[in-house]
Amino acid sequence: MRKDKGDMELAIEVPQPRLRAVPSEPVQHPVDDSPSDAQLLARVGERDREAFEILYGRYVRPVFGLALRRLGDRGHAEDAVQEAFAAIWRSASTYRPERGAAGGWLYTVARNAIVDRLRRMGPTVDAELPELASVEPGPAQRAEDSDVAWRVHRALEDLQPREREVIELAYWSGMSQSEVAQYLHLPLGTVKTRTRSALARLASMLEGEL
Amino acid sequence: MNRDRNLDELIGADTTGAERERLQRAHDMLLEAGPPPELSPKLEEGPTLGMTLQRRRAVKRRAMLLLAATLAIVGVFLAGYAVANRGGSSPSAVKSLALEGTVVAPNAQATLEVWQSNADNWPMTLTAVGLPPLPEHRYYEVYLVRHGKPWGACGAFRAPENPQQPVTVTLTAPYTLRKGDSWVVTRPGTGAAEPGKTVLRPAPVTA
Repeated sequence: MRKDKGDMELAIEVPQPRLRAVPSEPVQHPVDDSPSDAQLLARVGERDREAFEILYGRYVRPVFGLALRRLGDRGHAEDAVQEAFAAIWRSASTYRPERGAAGGWLYTVARNAIVDRLRRMGPTVDAELPELASVEPGPAQRAEDSDVAWRVHRALEDLQPREREVIELAYWSGMSQSEVAQYLHLPLGTVKTRTRSALARLASMLEGEL
Repeated sequence: MNRDRNLDELIGADTTGAERERLQRAHDMLLEAGPPPELSPKLEEGPTLGMTLQRRRAVKRRAMLLLAATLAIVGVFLAGYAVANRGGSSPSAVKSLALEGTVVAPNAQATLEVWQSNADNWPMTLTAVGLPPLPEHRYYEVYLVRHGKPWGACGAFRAPENPQQPVTVTLTAPYTLRKGDSWVVTRPGTGAAEPGKTVLRPAPVTA
């Protein structure tokens, strides 16, 4: 028997995810009419602070995520973010679009800043060697994981807020799609359609060079 | 904890063929990437002043050499001036700084001159124009910036009703100044809903 909405709300204990604010009105997609990363980098090279703020908004999560994975400490990772963006500000004028995508250049600059900080932190492992082989991923695997996370987190920034919200809920809130639908007060079909649309846009972004 | 996700559960089973494979790849990458990190309030605020105060080393080195040469010339000139005018001297700024408006006050600009100290009290003269007037009992504040962050208050002032009218105020930095110190002017916030904002910050040095 189908339950009405009130019953559903009592029956399901929905976890409350922490999400970024979503505007109440639909917003235009930012990709088409917003400057590309390469254009922003060129402007930052000319000391355009507004361009730097836009670039920061697009990349602060990927940079912080990368720093967290490499450094394993939020405090050090925050400092590394500061250093990475300071390096981007200093070096933006050296970026040459013909040599590669802006996303790759930013990844390299951020990674170098993080590695510099890692070196300054000094050795953190015990001197004794472990008796068993580590099950942790090796450097190559970690680098690949970092690259995937960087690209995915960067692409998420270009989704519409409503699309990003449904992806975050669907993948990382622990809720089922029925629970997501209830949480957003939307029909289940709308949630699935929105998830599919967001996934399709993510797929397009991830297939191309960021 | 996240439940295992399969694509059918998330989008239904209607999509097939090549499109389905595209979505599956994006789905797999999302699972592999994990959630984006939650930012601290500090990182959420946006770029800090410290990020843009740092300059390229080569430029900095050249600027330091130029500054040293300038200081040497000024020193020689001042020594000569002092010798020629024993007993009567006028003050000269030990540091001059051009400030430019942020997005909060894009039309604002200012100059800040720091004069010779007296027992670590550094008198300063700020001349600003283009700052919008603030409501009653609210003041612009001048902060010494150290390591990229507001470090010490140097005084407060009000802007004229007509933003085109320059305002000149005398302030004091009662601190031991260090190399690299800088200044910003901030506008007060209205509590948690609207934090204070930087309205003037050092203009970039053009080579």
